[in-house]
Amino acid sequence: MKNASIDELIEGLADDLGPVRPRRIARGWLLVGAGWLAAAVLLLRAFGMRHDVAAMPEMSMLCFWLIAAVAVAAIGSALRMGLPGVGRDYSGWRWAGLAALALPVAALFVAMGDGRAAAQAMHDDGRCLFVGLLAGLGVGGALFAWLRAGAPTSPTRAGWVIGLAAGASGATVTALHCPVDNIVHIALWHGGAVLIATLAGRLALPRWLRW
Amino acid sequence: MSIDEPSLARLMAAAQRGDRAAYRALLADCRRWLTRYFARRIAPHAVDDLVQETLVSLHRKRATWDSGRAFLPWLAAIARYRWIDMLRRQKDEAELGEGDAAVAAGDEAVNARLSLERLLGLLPAGQAQAITLVKIEGASIAEASRITGQSESLVKVNIHRGLRKLAGLVESE
Repeated sequence: MKNASIDELIEGLADDLGPVRPRRIARGWLLVGAGWLAAAVLLLRAFGMRHDVAAMPEMSMLCFWLIAAVAVAAIGSALRMGLPGVGRDYSGWRWAGLAALALPVAALFVAMGDGRAAAQAMHDDGRCLFVGLLAGLGVGGALFAWLRAGAPTSPTRAGWVIGLAAGASGATVTALHCPVDNIVHIALWHGGAVLIATLAGRLALPRWLRW
Repeated sequence: MSIDEPSLARLMAAAQRGDRAAYRALLADCRRWLTRYFARRIAPHAVDDLVQETLVSLHRKRATWDSGRAFLPWLAAIARYRWIDMLRRQKDEAELGEGDAAVAAGDEAVNARLSLERLLGLLPAGQAQAITLVKIEGASIAEASRITGQSESLVKVNIHRGLRKLAGLVESE
């Protein structure tokens, strides 16, 4: 190709042209929503749902929606990254992520107030972490497929945001499963899945997202 | 014939539906636009390669343009991505090739908002200068060090950091 003239290249590309279906953000949302739902159904069937989902204590309810907001913001940013354009802004997820830091910060103060109770809350068999990471694969896989076919101009940033979206969406599934209403537990084990997924996204994905 | 946004967008919409004649016209226009776009922002002998690579990316990613949005910012984002990719791949101290007369930029300036100058302008001055001298104008590290007053290792560090930063700024205005 290096030696072919640009004229030949243009002829070749034109001959190769077939109709394409323009990618639309709305279809991306459908894809991701399906991934989210499928992961939730599978894992809640396997591990069970907390019995009082409809009447969760306020604090757990608040955490659930806070994390869900992070997931939605990160998914929105990641979907938009697939359709590039100078002048686009993808920073929405940062603000949602920053707001969600309220969770670990609050947990830290609670833990400092009552160290013994906090230490007890930290005990866990790792199931919440596991459920969160596994449940994140639905959204993570959908976003990864979307961005592989798209054109993210910063694969590194795309890796971060896919990881965050996967982790946060997985943590919402954990919240429906886990009956522990303790902010230290939620910040550590549910939030831990978000952190791990975000780092994993950054480390594993960029090389597959270059084009 | 000038290259204007509405007619490019029309051609691209037709190309997405599979209209080859429209696509040929679009690619010819994009070729001219890109040649001007890259002029003086990459070693002259590399302009053709870069234009070709960008056209191939346009082809492969043609489904990612949304007809509800402007065409040129989309093309510019792809062009900037390919440009940074080529700067990274280029060996330092690249020798200027035969026929390295500067490509004329032409009278029509590319939309300043989308330009590569604008992108370079987002970097700290030292990084932009090191990249311009070594990666674009083909100076050696030693020459760049003399011109900028930066030590040779600082020139290298500035190139490395600057390119990394550019990669995150592709879609910034």
